[in-house]
Amino acid sequence: MPNMQRRYRTVTELKVRESAKTIAFSDPALAGKLTAMGVLPGTCIEMVRTAPFGAAYYIKADGVRMALREEEAASILIEV
Amino acid sequence: MSKREGQTFHVALVGNPNSGKSTLFNQLTGLRQKTGNFPGVTVDMKEGKLRFEGGREAILTDYPGTYSLYPTASDEKMVAAVLTNPADANFPNAVVYVADVKNLEKHLLLLTQLLDLDLPVILALNMADMAAEMGIKTNTAKLSEQLGIPVVLLSSRTGDNVSKLVAELEKLLLSPTVSRKPFYPFTDLEKQVAEAVQLNLDANNPYRALLLAHHHGWLPFLKRNDRETLATIVENKSFQSLRSQVDETLDRFDRFTPIVQDTIDQPPAFPETITDRIDALLTNRWAGPFLFFLVMLLVFQAVFDWSEYPMGWIESGFGSLSDWLKVIMPKGWFTDLLTDGILAGLAGIMVFIPQIALLFLIITILEEVGYMARVVFMFDKSMRRFGMNGRSVVALISGSACAVPAIMSSRTIGNWQERLITVMVTPFISCSARIPVYLVLIGLAVPPVRVAGFINAQTLVFGSMYALGLVAALLSGWAMKKWLRTREISYLAIELPEYRMPHWKNVGLTVWEKVSAFVVGAGKIILYVSIGLWALSRFGPGEDMAQAVVRAETEAKSQQLDQGAANDLVAQRQLEASYAGQMGKWIEPVIRPLGYDWKIGIALLTSFAAREVFTGTLAVLYNMGSAEGDINDSAENESKATLRAKMRSETFSDTGKPVYTLGTALSLLVFYALAMQCMSTMAVVARETGSWKWAIYQFVFMSGLAYLGAWLVYQIFG
Repeated sequence: MPNMQRRYRTVTELKVRESAKTIAFSDPALAGKLTAMGVLPGTCIEMVRTAPFGAAYYIKADGVRMALREEEAASILIEV
Repeated sequence: MSKREGQTFHVALVGNPNSGKSTLFNQLTGLRQKTGNFPGVTVDMKEGKLRFEGGREAILTDYPGTYSLYPTASDEKMVAAVLTNPADANFPNAVVYVADVKNLEKHLLLLTQLLDLDLPVILALNMADMAAEMGIKTNTAKLSEQLGIPVVLLSSRTGDNVSKLVAELEKLLLSPTVSRKPFYPFTDLEKQVAEAVQLNLDANNPYRALLLAHHHGWLPFLKRNDRETLATIVENKSFQSLRSQVDETLDRFDRFTPIVQDTIDQPPAFPETITDRIDALLTNRWAGPFLFFLVMLLVFQAVFDWSEYPMGWIESGFGSLSDWLKVIMPKGWFTDLLTDGILAGLAGIMVFIPQIALLFLIITILEEVGYMARVVFMFDKSMRRFGMNGRSVVALISGSACAVPAIMSSRTIGNWQERLITVMVTPFISCSARIPVYLVLIGLAVPPVRVAGFINAQTLVFGSMYALGLVAALLSGWAMKKWLRTREISYLAIELPEYRMPHWKNVGLTVWEKVSAFVVGAGKIILYVSIGLWALSRFGPGEDMAQAVVRAETEAKSQQLDQGAANDLVAQRQLEASYAGQMGKWIEPVIRPLGYDWKIGIALLTSFAAREVFTGTLAVLYNMGSAEGDINDSAENESKATLRAKMRSETFSDTGKPVYTLGTALSLLVFYALAMQCMSTMAVVARETGSWKWAIYQFVFMSGLAYLGAWLVYQIFG
């Protein structure tokens, strides 16, 4: 295979103030919760900051402020 | 779906978290509300009376905020449990669906689910005032037409258009219309599953049938054979609930997003707001936790300072009432029951109200403002290390007022194990009832000297008691996590709402609700216990009591005591001869290794029902009953000082050594910090965990730890 570059990354890889569009979810149970809260494929996720003791992220999903845990953020696949 | 004449209408208030639902509930019902209990689910619901223009009435129920009928926490499950069960006594005739008009694209999922259940729904587009400021324009007529339901644009904060909502709601109740085609067309598999369910179970609505299949594992109203039938259908059709849920959710969003875009004119950008600037500081990596601890320190300082005065008034008020009754009523057991049993019990409840109310006032303000969601975010990681969840922080802070409402606030934690651990360790946090015990013992054992030049040693020990409780809570959580190890999924995912001024009516009503939880939940038991204790200490086996009185009277005469001192001596001898006294002597061998004598034994036994009776029991035991409950503050301090002086002069009857050494006092402090001595908390734990099993584990574990800790401290300092 010629181009092995990944076509997605996860929210945990976003730098502060960086944003990207959601593509899909990697965990069905977490996807259930996240989609119900309005994080959908196509939603624009902005990284605001990481939690004081780590392992959680302050994000904006289409401008809505949310706190996500490491696993939750890692289950959201976003555009490169 | 129409109700016969004379029947009461039930209206459900449903919506996402942060939709302003509770504010609207308070606007609609005012003070005409109470906390009801839903059968089959251990969740209290707020109910209120809704009055229509013409005098007609309806019962309005505030449902927990939830995003979807696929719930992840026990309070959210309740919404699905009632709305999928038309046989439920609370099943609504109509639903008021509250949505934030500023975020409508994220707030309509649940609404479309309710529509598919054929519930008559009215949409309340909330926060119109803020939307107007932001320049958001809404075409309610078009939205109403596209959704096929009445829509009212209103503001629950200012009260604008709330009366219009009420009028529309009455119309809907009188002629409920639900004829519309389903919002979400099922997939082929979902159709098959729903049809199979409808063939076997009584479910006239296909979406309800589908939800029964999704939730057959936990819906509380399902009978065992129905549950088995559903399980078989799900298995035969290889129906994958999770995948189907996500697909359904996405499909619904795809369908209603164009409707929202078509009817709401929103500025496209998300401007930086004041919330972002505040959060840059309050959730900052370094400043955030530091500011949190500073806030907590100030909160406790304020609560202790401010509550001192009302507590003094309540104590002296009950004291004078009791003295007055003793004067005007004939001497006898009935007067004793009234003053020493019932009034003493009432005073024991009322005296904690100022502190509990103040603490919950501040916690509620922090919650209303939006700060608590940030605390949940900041401490999630730290709490998970100890088997809990960021949301547990709120329960633990509340536990410093009273464990009863604190444990009830754990319902927002979705993961059963994290919730259970929170429930189990919250009573370790030093609550208001422990304070009087701490104060007496610290005053006795710790000299008021300054440590390191500025901190009062007594303050230091007092603070250490709180630290001890917190450390015990966290370490127990950690141990329970190692022991339980379930695989159930746990969520943080929480919205961080925009900071806003607290809505004072909400604050007032919430504080009222929490204090009521204490008065009703804990107070009732404290009162019964107080009466029971009175009986145990008023009566004794055989002729012992009568003989004790005679002996005490002779002794008083021979020592030429005045009337007050003679009465105190009689009371002391009576208590020693009573059932309570016998029990104290009986357990003395068990508590002797901790440095306690049988008198402390009585106080300990009585404390096992409610710990705050410790000081009262000791006051009687040390022969100073009449010095208590004096009117002014200095006399109050004097009575504490007298109690301490009496305690200092106590000696063991066999060895003649003083009882209250530093070791004994510290050992008692540790015992009271760690032991489970509150029947009200046990009752709430049993209710919230669904069985007495956990309450009993908790009792054994906490008391065992208390015994060990107290023993260790006595060995070191005794």
